[in-house]
Amino acid sequence: MAEERFGESAACWRFDAELPAYLEGEAAPQVTAHARECRFCAVVLADLEELRSASRALPREEPSRAVWANIRAALAAEGIIHEPVRAWQRWFGFLGVSHSPAPVGALAGLLILASMLLVPSKDLRRVGSIGGASEGARVAIASIGYPGQDSDLLRTVQDLEGSFQARRMSLEPSVKAIYEKSLESLNTSIRECTESVQREPANILAREYLLAAYTRKAEVLASALEFDAR
Amino acid sequence: MLDRYLKANARERQQSWQILFLSLIPAGLLGAAGVAHLEKTIETIANPRISLANLQGQVVVRGWDKSQVHATWVGLSPRVELDTEVLPHKGPAEKVHFSTHVLDPLVSGKDCAADYTLDVPVNSSLEIRSPQGSVQIEKLQGDASVESVGGTISVTDVAGHLSVRSVGGNIEVIRPSGRVEAYSITGNLHFVSPTSSKLRGSTTSGKITYEGDFAPGGDYTLSAYSGDMEILCPPSASFELNAKSVRGRLENAVAITPRRHAPSPPATGYSLLGTHNTGEATVELTSYSGTIRIRQQH
Amino acid sequence: MAAPKAASETQLIARAQQGDEEAFAALFETHKRRVYSLCLRMTGNTAEAEDLTQEAFLQLFRKISTFRGESAFSTWLHRLVVNVVLMHLRKKGLQQVSLDELDTSQDEPVKRDYGDDDLRLMGSVDRIGLARAIRELPPGYRTVFVLHDIEGYEHNEIAEIMNCSVGNSKSQLHKARMKLREWLRDDRQRTQLDALTAPAGPPDER
Repeated sequence: MAEERFGESAACWRFDAELPAYLEGEAAPQVTAHARECRFCAVVLADLEELRSASRALPREEPSRAVWANIRAALAAEGIIHEPVRAWQRWFGFLGVSHSPAPVGALAGLLILASMLLVPSKDLRRVGSIGGASEGARVAIASIGYPGQDSDLLRTVQDLEGSFQARRMSLEPSVKAIYEKSLESLNTSIRECTESVQREPANILAREYLLAAYTRKAEVLASALEFDAR
Repeated sequence: MLDRYLKANARERQQSWQILFLSLIPAGLLGAAGVAHLEKTIETIANPRISLANLQGQVVVRGWDKSQVHATWVGLSPRVELDTEVLPHKGPAEKVHFSTHVLDPLVSGKDCAADYTLDVPVNSSLEIRSPQGSVQIEKLQGDASVESVGGTISVTDVAGHLSVRSVGGNIEVIRPSGRVEAYSITGNLHFVSPTSSKLRGSTTSGKITYEGDFAPGGDYTLSAYSGDMEILCPPSASFELNAKSVRGRLENAVAITPRRHAPSPPATGYSLLGTHNTGEATVELTSYSGTIRIRQQH
Repeated sequence: MAAPKAASETQLIARAQQGDEEAFAALFETHKRRVYSLCLRMTGNTAEAEDLTQEAFLQLFRKISTFRGESAFSTWLHRLVVNVVLMHLRKKGLQQVSLDELDTSQDEPVKRDYGDDDLRLMGSVDRIGLARAIRELPPGYRTVFVLHDIEGYEHNEIAEIMNCSVGNSKSQLHKARMKLREWLRDDRQRTQLDALTAPAGPPDER
C-alpha cells in the first residue's frame, strides 16, 4: 500500500482496532503480522509493551507503621476490637448486645439492681432471687447513696460514652440524631436528679430515677455501639 | 416446580427465586427505580419462630390461620437483597429468618430500605429488629419482641408476651392480652384496652397514655420522667393506686379512697396512694417532672 | 454457601467479625501494600496516600460484619478504596469524577501518533517519569490504568469495582495507555532536544 510510510493504511487501522485485545492476551495474529510489515505500528506496539512491563515493574510501596497504629487505636476506641465473649453477655440478649467492652460486667449487676429498685418494694423479695446477684445486690442497695458514689456504674457509663463519641460519626445521620436526642434527654434527667438528690438525700424516688437514668444511658450507649453503622 | 424450589437449600432457594422471578418479569419492569419485588411462601409448623432483621423501611406482620409464612419483600434499591434462612431444610419449617442484606459496603441511608409484609401462623413467635422504619404487628397468639431505634412500632391484638424496645420511636400497643413491656427513651407510649395482667411501660421524655381497664389481679407499672402521663379508665375499674412524682403534679379525677396506713409521704413531691373500687389490680405510676392525670373514660 | 476461598482468609474475616485484633492486623498486613500503592499512584503524595489508606481500612473494618462472601474480599476492599480515593480527589476540587462517569462521549479519540522510530520508548521509560505521567492522567483513566496495569486486576473485576461495563474498562485502559505513551514520547523528545541543544555534554546514547 502506498501510504505505509505514514502509518495510515487500512491495515494500520485494523491493527489499531485489534491492538487492545492483543495486549489483553487475546489472539490477534493481524497485530504481530502487521507489526512485522509496518515499522510505525511496530513502534506503537513496542512502546505499549514497554509501558506495560514498566508499569508492572513499579515497586509496591509500603506505608509507614503509623498507619496501622492509627487504625488500631481507632478500632479500640470504637469498641470494634473485642475481648472474647463472656457468659454474662447473655444478659444482654435483650439489648441486642453481643459483644461488649469490658465495663459491661458491672452493667449486668447494675441492671439487676436497677430493676429491683424500680419494682414496688413488696416484690423485692421475689425479684431478689434472680441468680447469685441477689445477695450482692441487697448489700449494694443498702450501701448505695446515689450513683455519684457508685464508681462502677459511673465508670461504665463514662467508658461507654467515650466509645460512643469515637464511634458516633460513623453512624448514619438520622440514626445518630435519634441517639443524640435520647442521650440529651437522659443527660438532662441525670443532671436534674443529681441536684434533687443533693438537695434532699432522703428522696428515694429521685435516687431511683437517677440510677435508672444512668442505667438507661448505659443501655442506649451500648445499643448505639452495637448498631451496625450501615 | 414450586415444591422443588421450596426444598432447596435456603440460599440456593433465594437465588432460584430470583431467577424464577427474573425470568417471569419483563426486564423493563425490573429496571424501574431499582426496585426489586420478591414473594415467598414457606410451609411451617403451627408455631414457628419467625425472626426478621431489617434496616429501614416498613415491616408489617399479620397472623393468619394457615401453617404457612407468606412474605413479600420490596427492596428499594438494587443494593439490598433478601436473605432467608429456613430450618429445617426439609419439611415444614420450625424457624424462619428474614434479613435485609446490603450488598455494597458503600451504601447507606435510603438505599438500605426494604419493605416487608409477612403473613405468619397466628401461633408464631416473632422477633423483629428494625433500627429505623416502622413496624406493625397484628393478630398474634405467640410471643413477640421488637427492637428498634427510631420508627413507630404499632402492635394490635397480640396475646403472647410482648416486649418492645425503642430509643426514639413511639410505641402503640392495642388490645394486648399477654404480658407487655414497652420501653422508649424519647418516644411516646400509648396503650389501648389492654387485658394483660402484667404491663410495664417506661419512657424518659415521651408521654404515656393508658386507655382502658385493669385486669383483676393485674400488675401495671408506668414510669415517665419529664413527659406527661394520662390514665383513662372506665368507672368500673378496680385497682390499688400507687402514684408518685418528684416534681410533677398529680391530677386525679376519679374517686380514690386513700390508704389507711399509708407510709409517711416523701418530704417533697406528690404521692397518691389509695384504692379505686375494690382494688383488685395494682397500678403504679411514677413521674419525675411530668404531670400524672387520672380520668374517667366515658 | 460462598465459593471456596483460601481458608485462611475466610477464617480471618470470621475472626475479625468477632472483634479479634490479630485477625484485623493480619488482614491489614495482607492488603496494605496494594491499598497504599493504589492510593499513592492516584494521589502522588505519601502523606495523602497514608491518610487515605488509614481511612479506607477503618471504613472497611467498621463494616466488616456486613461482608458475606458474595464477592472476593479484595474486590470489596478495593471498591471501598477506589471510592475513598475518588471522593478525596473530588473534595480537592479536581476534575469531577464519579464511579459511573466513564462515559465515552467525553473522551478524545485515540491519537494516532505517526512519529518515527527514533522516539521508541524501548528501554527508556524511567520510574519517576512514568509515575509522574500516571498522576497526570484524568482520575477515571488513572484509576483503570492503575488497577489493571499496575495492580493486575482483570477488566471484569475493574468493572465491578468501578461500577462500569467491561467494555468501558477496556476502552478507558487503552486510552490511558495511549495517553501515557504520548506524554512519555513528548518527554523523551524534550530530553533529546535538551541534550542536543545543551551547551556541552555527551551525545545522546540509545
